[in-house]
Amino acid sequence: MSETANTANTASTANEAAAEPAEVQAPGRDASGEPGSWGARLRDAAVERWRPIALAALLLAACYAPFQLVPFRVFQLTMVLVYAVALLGLNLLVGHAGQISLGHGAFFAVGAYAAALMLDRWDVPYLLTLPVAAAVAFVLGLGLGVPAVRLHGLYLALVTLSIAVFLVPLLKRFESVTGGSMGLTLTKPAPPAWTGLAEDQWLYFLALAVAVAAFLLARNLLRSRVGRALHAVRDNEAAAEVMGVRLPFYKTLAFAWSAMFAGAAGCVYTWVIGFVSPDSFPVTLSITLLAGIVVGGLGSLSGPLLGGLFVMFVPSWSQDINKAAPGVIFGLLIIAVMYVAPTGLAGLAGRAAGRIRRTLRRE
Amino acid sequence: MSTPDDDFLVVEDLHAGYGGARVLHGVSLTVGRGEVCAILGPNGAGKTTLLRALCGMVKGRGAVRLGGTGLLGRPPDAVARLGVAHVPEGRGTFLPLTVEENLRLGAFTRRDRAAVQADLERVHGYFPVLRKRLKQQAGSLSGGEQQMLALGRALMLRPRLLLLDEPSLGLAPMVTRELFGIVRSINEEERTTVVVVEQNAHLALGIARQAHVLETGRIVLSGPAERIRADEQVARSYLGYRV
Amino acid sequence: MAGFAQQVVEGMGAGAIYAGLALALVLIHRFTGIVNFAQGELAMFSTYVAWQFMDAGLPFWAALAITLTVSFTGGMLIERVVIRPVEGAPELTMVIVTVGLFIFVNAAAGWIWSFLIKDFPNPFPDGALRAGGVAVGYPTLGILAVVGLVMGLLYLLFRHTGIGLGMRAVAADPDSARLVGIRVGRTLALGWGLAATVGAVSGVLVAPLLFLEPNMMGGVLIYAFAAATLGGFDSPAGAVVGGLVVGVAETLAGAYVDVVGSDLKIGVPLVIILVVLLLRPQGLFGRATVERA
Repeated sequence: MSETANTANTASTANEAAAEPAEVQAPGRDASGEPGSWGARLRDAAVERWRPIALAALLLAACYAPFQLVPFRVFQLTMVLVYAVALLGLNLLVGHAGQISLGHGAFFAVGAYAAALMLDRWDVPYLLTLPVAAAVAFVLGLGLGVPAVRLHGLYLALVTLSIAVFLVPLLKRFESVTGGSMGLTLTKPAPPAWTGLAEDQWLYFLALAVAVAAFLLARNLLRSRVGRALHAVRDNEAAAEVMGVRLPFYKTLAFAWSAMFAGAAGCVYTWVIGFVSPDSFPVTLSITLLAGIVVGGLGSLSGPLLGGLFVMFVPSWSQDINKAAPGVIFGLLIIAVMYVAPTGLAGLAGRAAGRIRRTLRRE
Repeated sequence: MSTPDDDFLVVEDLHAGYGGARVLHGVSLTVGRGEVCAILGPNGAGKTTLLRALCGMVKGRGAVRLGGTGLLGRPPDAVARLGVAHVPEGRGTFLPLTVEENLRLGAFTRRDRAAVQADLERVHGYFPVLRKRLKQQAGSLSGGEQQMLALGRALMLRPRLLLLDEPSLGLAPMVTRELFGIVRSINEEERTTVVVVEQNAHLALGIARQAHVLETGRIVLSGPAERIRADEQVARSYLGYRV
Repeated sequence: MAGFAQQVVEGMGAGAIYAGLALALVLIHRFTGIVNFAQGELAMFSTYVAWQFMDAGLPFWAALAITLTVSFTGGMLIERVVIRPVEGAPELTMVIVTVGLFIFVNAAAGWIWSFLIKDFPNPFPDGALRAGGVAVGYPTLGILAVVGLVMGLLYLLFRHTGIGLGMRAVAADPDSARLVGIRVGRTLALGWGLAATVGAVSGVLVAPLLFLEPNMMGGVLIYAFAAATLGGFDSPAGAVVGGLVVGVAETLAGAYVDVVGSDLKIGVPLVIILVVLLLRPQGLFGRATVERA
């Protein structure tokens, strides 16, 4: 978990650095000590130096945590990681490619059901279910990506939303395969004896491993040609096309990858919960995921993790006040984030950290 | 000796621009009531920006007063309600609506129904071609007809001040001459004050009393239209045509 | 054959409801280019307001009148408070903001009125009009009549009043609208108010058929989207025709296509949306829009 947080931080700083040359060109910006000035360069240097240390510390904390917490808390952290992986996918699509999906819960469900079926029907070793579930979601994403390429913003939102709505009755209908409304109950992966871990701890480490791998994969994706192409698409579609970015190709690909991450998250979900049913994946899941990534921070790598924490803990804390409280908080925060901080919690954290570093340097 | 009529429209030290780009650097001029004033100058001199600042489409610093009322800082709809009709670049026609609806929209702020009906007749008088096309979509009109519609729509406000931005743009010379002829008769018959921005200096000077030459956001020359027209030096250096 | 006609009639009854919500969606889209994902939830909230007044003892029609007024004001307020600050923002931002509004309104209704279902009285009498083996329920007739009435009133407003002309001018070209003295902000708020009112009508019509609960409009919204997509997002008449078509298609598919049955009917709007968007994105009655950069 901490590992991921750190990767994310460094990556978001890298984003800032990438944005700076453009800012330098704006006259009158240099003197202010804002990005693009000496201060920013110093700051980046500082981050560069501290990054490995902070990263190691956080990873250590993440590995230490399950031995200090009660099983329920460990379970909650596991779910944070699961959501973070799904949000990572949604972030690729919304934050980096500028597309929207109101139906990412559907890909999550597809991954979850794919894993459940493999475990239930064919006793596939559970580690093997992960690549297969991810691949299934990837292919479905690719299939949906083809029409999605031709759809603009809100139409894409319409289609993805109706897919999410359609999924629940669809799963219920094919009862012979999906177990219908009753769902499928599975045995959770048992910890190998040599680890000496309890079940909740083992599941936590599985999720942690998947999350770390997913974050590394996403980071590499975004640093590649593909990542640059996606940003170009997001920032100015027409210009990107003129510059020779093959739009349909990259948009479809973004959709497929994004689905793949959600599918992988769904697979880990099945491991952790040991039960899938149509009502585990209602439309609200899709909408909650969108809320999570918007509040966590669109376009930054730490956004998915913060979003995961948010999606997991805000409901569990606020539900004591009222069953509707999480929705009220989500709704208000989404709107507020769009007004004041389109980069979400991650952006706020980045700005706050920058300010603190500047303050410290002055002393 | 200046009378209130001489200072009907007063612009003092007007600065304006878009975002970081400053376009006008302290423009001052006055237009008397019932006069036609021509703003001339090369492309990019700030002519359009000047009109936009007058009608509130662009924020400006300095002072703009119409009959003693300050215009700066008011949004375009408020300026329109003070009786300023602006025929913008590109004519601002509501293309999906019919010709008649476009004309009625010109009188949107007026509540005197009977007078509006009379004005509709008056506009038809100036532009007989519009009468034939009342139920037609404005988007189906030719360029010249659309410019007439735009002017007609502006007249429906019974404007105290009429701002015209490049009325000749994209029109055939004959149509342009006809249009300027109509502007002249509107001015003469109704004593409407007109500020016209025009590339075609020859035409604009033909109907204007005063003229100002704008270059890179400053007025470089002002004077009676007759004198500016006669000044060959001016014609060559600023207006880009030979007399 | 009578059975088929019966299905068509019932489909039209359902379709009229979708048409109502689709009308609300189209109204806002025409003025602002926004598709309001919260439209269904606003309608649901309005329906609760109506329920609240009836619960306090008011007769149905009085409660309806108050509800429509409240909805109109509420819609204008939402435009001012929620939408105005992000006016002109990218489409993605707009979609996300209205989704945020969706979540908020849904939860707020649950908070105020709980998630338990409530009975909502049907304003129309039971029974049916029989003709040639087809029975048309009075509630269905009532719904058709109400949606027809709303449509007619909107037509009068847009075609024969100054306010309506101003609204159409704003929809056509906000900048030019300002130049002729129209208060564009106020007009946009008016559009939202109007849409909320029309949505409220659809909510009140739906509630007796489903049950009143916070998630009542979720499914209806998808059908309304399909209706608006089919008719064209900038055509009020298209929304109504689209709604009727979607309603009939849904009912017929449920009755005659075995794979669809009653449980997978929600797939029908999905298919309609996809097919329309891929074949004729502007819808049946919409104008092809020019891409704005």
